Amino acid sequence: MSGRFTGSTGTSLIGGTEAHSSRSLPALLVPIIVVGAVLALVPFWLGDSRVLMGVAVLGLAFVCYVIGFNVIFGGTGQLFLCVGALAGVGGFGATILADNVGLPIVASILIATLAATLMGGLLSYVAVQRSLGVIFTGIVTLIFSLSFDALLLGLSNLTGGDTGRLIKSGTDTFLRERIPPYYLMLGLALAFLLTHGLLRRSHIGWAFRALRDDEVAAELAGVDVARYRVYGALIGAAMLGLAGSTYALTEGRISPTTFGFGHVDVVVMVMLAFGGIGTLFGPIVGAITFTIVDEVLIDFGQLRQVAYGILVIVLFLWMPRGLIPTLDSVWRRVRGLVGARH
Amino acid sequence: MIANILDGIVLGLQFGLLAAGLTLIYGLGGVLNLGYGQIAVTSAMIVALSMDAGVPVVPAVGLGLLAGGLFGLLLDLTILRPVYRLRGEARVLLSLLLTLGVSFIIDGYLNWRYPLKALNLYIGGGAIDILGVPMRRGSLVASAITLVTITGLFIFFRSTSLGRAIRSVIEDESGARLIGIDPKQMLRLILVLSGVLAALVAVTRSMIAPVDTTSGLSITVFALIVTVVGGLGNVVGALLAGIILGIVNVVAADLIGSYISLILLLAAAAVTILIRPAGLLGVKE
Amino acid sequence: MLEVNGLSAGYQGNDVVHDVTLRVDQGEAVMIIGSNGSGKTTLFQTLCGLLSPSSGKVIFEGDDITGLPAERIARLGMRFVSAARHLFPRMTVEEHLLLGAYPHKPDPTTRSTVLDLFPRLAERRRQRAGTMSGGEQQMLAVGRALMSKPRLLVLDEPSTGLAPLLARAAYEALDVLRKQGLTVLVTEQQVPLAMAFSDRGYVLENGFIRLEGTSEQLAANPAVRSAYLGVT
Repeated sequence: MSGRFTGSTGTSLIGGTEAHSSRSLPALLVPIIVVGAVLALVPFWLGDSRVLMGVAVLGLAFVCYVIGFNVIFGGTGQLFLCVGALAGVGGFGATILADNVGLPIVASILIATLAATLMGGLLSYVAVQRSLGVIFTGIVTLIFSLSFDALLLGLSNLTGGDTGRLIKSGTDTFLRERIPPYYLMLGLALAFLLTHGLLRRSHIGWAFRALRDDEVAAELAGVDVARYRVYGALIGAAMLGLAGSTYALTEGRISPTTFGFGHVDVVVMVMLAFGGIGTLFGPIVGAITFTIVDEVLIDFGQLRQVAYGILVIVLFLWMPRGLIPTLDSVWRRVRGLVGARH
Repeated sequence: MIANILDGIVLGLQFGLLAAGLTLIYGLGGVLNLGYGQIAVTSAMIVALSMDAGVPVVPAVGLGLLAGGLFGLLLDLTILRPVYRLRGEARVLLSLLLTLGVSFIIDGYLNWRYPLKALNLYIGGGAIDILGVPMRRGSLVASAITLVTITGLFIFFRSTSLGRAIRSVIEDESGARLIGIDPKQMLRLILVLSGVLAALVAVTRSMIAPVDTTSGLSITVFALIVTVVGGLGNVVGALLAGIILGIVNVVAADLIGSYISLILLLAAAAVTILIRPAGLLGVKE
Repeated sequence: MLEVNGLSAGYQGNDVVHDVTLRVDQGEAVMIIGSNGSGKTTLFQTLCGLLSPSSGKVIFEGDDITGLPAERIARLGMRFVSAARHLFPRMTVEEHLLLGAYPHKPDPTTRSTVLDLFPRLAERRRQRAGTMSGGEQQMLAVGRALMSKPRLLVLDEPSTGLAPLLARAAYEALDVLRKQGLTVLVTEQQVPLAMAFSDRGYVLENGFIRLEGTSEQLAANPAVRSAYLGVT
């Protein structure tokens, strides 16, 4: 277990031990289609409840957030403790652009997503320029998160302060109906999954793996580590911004808690750690598991946080690579025992 | 303006003492304790609960300080054991994650069990004039206690052999081991000490404003900001940064607004990390 | 006084030092000589407890101290001065000397003895160790070690980073200490210095003890002469 944390850049927390780059396209598409098909049936299981549907949509939003965080942290090892803030740039940005400035919804979403992308890229650029290690990157992004939180509270005219505000744009469209938002977010989630999968197979993905394994060796092999780190941040931040802005517009209301550190970042980290940092389907496993768990335990109120705390400790002590890689190793060992006489 | 500066110094002394505890843990053990604020809040709650049960103020405060110290000891004996097996950045990262988990547990439990509880040690009596500014007695008592504690810390580290031994571990761990000093023992001591300091800051803070079960995260964040600006591992830096940032906080809150002043503090920490990561008084590696 | 039997040690599973057996008797001055990479420092690190041995035994004054951590070994009457010195940069000379005696109160007699031995330290009592020169740091490292009144002093390449004059002065100081009854073990790359100082010695090569004998015997040995004394 101690070997998991020995990387000098702190990035060997990450799994990604599966062989993948040589697999063909169907091997990527088939699981995604299966997952998509299964998730597409969910509205039929949930019946008529608007509340449950809302939970499901939020769950998919978190799938998107976790994939975005996975690209940044699992892909390039940068500890971005500003997932909620970047999604919030998307969410609040789109809200203000659509309601206050009067832009069409699609344009608002695109511009807000762009803003989030640039912000993520900027944070990464600054971090690599100053050669900040994992810890300081985490602290700087945390500072951005907290500042964003404070800014939201301070600019209460625009953001509604503590209580939040309603989003008028999109009120009479399919965005506010019960079922369509689910499929919209599902579409996003599957698109992100596909993007991440293709990324891993591309030369960018190869560069990511190289710089995670051994930064110095990667530089010597010609990988511009700084550049690829920023690429990772740009892609991940774009996902976060897009998910945040789309989600906000389907919800119809937005408040600091929608994208707050304690509400988003903490949960996203637990979800990803559980599912498997750096894996492709880890985000799905983690996000769905915890959305269900959270909903089941909803009557326990604050006590859930106690459960998350215990989980964080247990996860990072015994399953630092997450559920998928751990199950994968167990499965391999079982296969090894069984197939020992070849 | 003078009123703001004096208020800022009062706040700053507390920031400084708070950060001192956190920075000592980092300097000695290479460990970041993100559960620091929760230790403070839990101690405050224990004081409040004891007083509710009829315990007089002073013994109740004593209980709180004791609780803080015990907390630190508990952390050392349990959660931090696996952290000690690692070195360097991996150690900081794991300590960060595990103590974060601990902070969730405590935050969740306290808010669930005692949602509206707060500690409020109001010190009665009229205001006293300092430099022409009427200062509340609570602020003055809190500052006096903080100053005495800081002085005590200085004396401890400079003039006692135990204090010197602890400093030597911060300076060069191998060197300390070679002269018979056990770094693990020293770290345990520092964890207990920092727990007591956290409790003390919570108690003195409650003389100025109530400390409730939701304060945990903000205490940790402020401690972290001041620690980073002062230089990780540097106690004098933490105190200096504390006072400066305390003054900045109060003055900015008055002139611009409390949210913006928080952003200013955060920006100060960010700028420090970017320009001079070693902090105000840190030694460049 | 010190007995090492079959000691092997290394890093991450690979032994650098193999099956080393040596002893140091009371009152002796013993040297371990070898070139760069022969394993002297690894041997030192293992003896002082900063590194755990993979096999073998270390016995000090009859007690088995194998595998004990450095902070425990330091309390047993042995003190170690490593090549890296491991001083405390922001602490003063005075504080170093006070710490050397930890956890006991420093003995004023010992202190004056140390300062008499190293007058330069006496002049710089309030100076911070980080601002001192190589030679002064070496003196401080030895002085700090002496404050605990050790019965055995072990030094790893004491001549490291010192100009020849200073290196000789260091050995002269060690000689004075010897005459006062201190037992000394040095590992050294600069063989002539060590040879003049020691009674007995071991030659370490690639982690193995290849030769042992009195200083005279080793000095006369043709292999030693060509490898370490530059005589062809």
